[in-house]
Amino acid sequence: MGEICVTLTDIEGSVVEIEDGAEGETLMELARRHDVKGIIAECGGACSCATCHLYIDAAWSAAVGTPDPVEEDMLDMVEDIRRPTSRLSCQITLHPGLDGLIAEVAPEL
Amino acid sequence: MTIVRDAANDDTQARPGPEGEDARLVEEATLLDPVVHKQPRRFYAAMRKLDPVHYDAALDMYLVSRWEDIQTVQRDPLTFSVNKGYHTQQAKGFAEEFQQILREKGGGYFPDAIMSDPPYHTRVRKLMESAFTAHRVKDLEPRIEAVVDGLLAELADKGAMDAVTDFAQPLTIRIICEQLGLDWSIKDRIARWSTAVTAQIGRMQDREEMLGHAAQICELQRYLIAKMREREADPREDMISDIVHARDGEGEGSVLTFEEAVSLIRALLIAGNETTATALSNLVLILATEPAVAEMLRASADDDRLMNRFVEELLRIEPPVRGLSRMTTKEVELGGRMLPEGAHLLLLYASANDEPEIFPEPRRFDMERKNIMKHVSFGGGVHKCVGLALARMEIKVAARLLVRKFADVRLAIAEEDIAYLPTVATRSMESLPVTFTLND
Repeated sequence: MGEICVTLTDIEGSVVEIEDGAEGETLMELARRHDVKGIIAECGGACSCATCHLYIDAAWSAAVGTPDPVEEDMLDMVEDIRRPTSRLSCQITLHPGLDGLIAEVAPEL
Repeated sequence: MTIVRDAANDDTQARPGPEGEDARLVEEATLLDPVVHKQPRRFYAAMRKLDPVHYDAALDMYLVSRWEDIQTVQRDPLTFSVNKGYHTQQAKGFAEEFQQILREKGGGYFPDAIMSDPPYHTRVRKLMESAFTAHRVKDLEPRIEAVVDGLLAELADKGAMDAVTDFAQPLTIRIICEQLGLDWSIKDRIARWSTAVTAQIGRMQDREEMLGHAAQICELQRYLIAKMREREADPREDMISDIVHARDGEGEGSVLTFEEAVSLIRALLIAGNETTATALSNLVLILATEPAVAEMLRASADDDRLMNRFVEELLRIEPPVRGLSRMTTKEVELGGRMLPEGAHLLLLYASANDEPEIFPEPRRFDMERKNIMKHVSFGGGVHKCVGLALARMEIKVAARLLVRKFADVRLAIAEEDIAYLPTVATRSMESLPVTFTLND
């Protein structure tokens, strides 16, 4: 299993370099494993709470892709903190194409 | 798309009253008082202003009324224990006798495995989460539509219904029966069992009522245990089979114990219908009393985005859960007050949802709130409602189909005569008679 690196800016502005992302795990699970501040994931990855919300770096947005309709429903309801590259990290499954991914954790709800 | 709520729940109830009156309310009122219990918003507003973590002596609990403090509690499940809070609340005053009855006649006393603290809770919760993802619930939408359609068709010719017992409860019971793999014919018993289980954290039952409720819970447990035995031997495509056979990893703790499984299936059955039924009853009440909201719903029925927002705002403005408990595991400061170890807390969700600094004009039904999901009606933190996606879907489908089929929904009793179940755990109407006509 290849190791996937991601760089996340947490809710306090600290940059967290993670180097052991595993193919098939979600970005939320990886962030939780490293206690990245601001990724709370209250619903446990069910796409039902928007507490694992992050902003994908513009350069990575195409590689990550756009939210499906169920995720879109959630993002619509956090309009006050939504940005064009907003995604819920529980809906992003890691693969080698995302090695080097950069994203910023959105403020709490 | 906004309107101001009128009638009994008018906007002023979310705001504090005159200074002296508020001080007197905070000093003298209790959530157990029948008048406060029925219309608590003014009491909540007074507490938020004067004493946000207020000791209610009659209840022997601290009432947590501000959004920020509720959030602090929810984000720290080790300091603020659900296990101690919930199980201290359960059958309070009669706990020993209650547990003894269940052991003798109900197959055992099974503490609620999900009402526990991390790390134990993490393991149990994980075994339940996969059943409830938003994507899995999305697949259920056609089935939920069929159930709601069938129910509305049965009611259509009558021109009148009890929104609680003819509509809301049968709907949610039918869905959870299908999910669990239970026979829908037991619906009347499930309604009774739900009341009995909820009453245990409601703090408003006397001993005689406790004995009646305990007998109901014994019957419920014996029924579920028999169903579990069937599924152990003969697994099917349903959630009882899923739980009985659930496995996460290998070795110790990878499967649920029998006691845990009984408690989880019991929790799914009760929580899966009681609170959602309350939300559906609230939906009918708001349609019957606020024509502008009914109009808003009609205009939104064909737009999924607007329907999602309608559901969320309905949950914010009238949360089904009144208050759930926590207990401090150490001395801690909350909202400017030092709490001792062992302080018993009740989190008042409706109060947090009424905070004007977070939700401007909180009594206004406003589907376009930019922070619409900030309400705490599903709780929060590791204990956030596990069934929230299913609840949202049931309410959305019911609201959409109801407003398409029925028109001119009106109360058949005076609004001030609506009675609420005697419990501090939920704000549930006992009955809601309405009349209606049919759309062409």
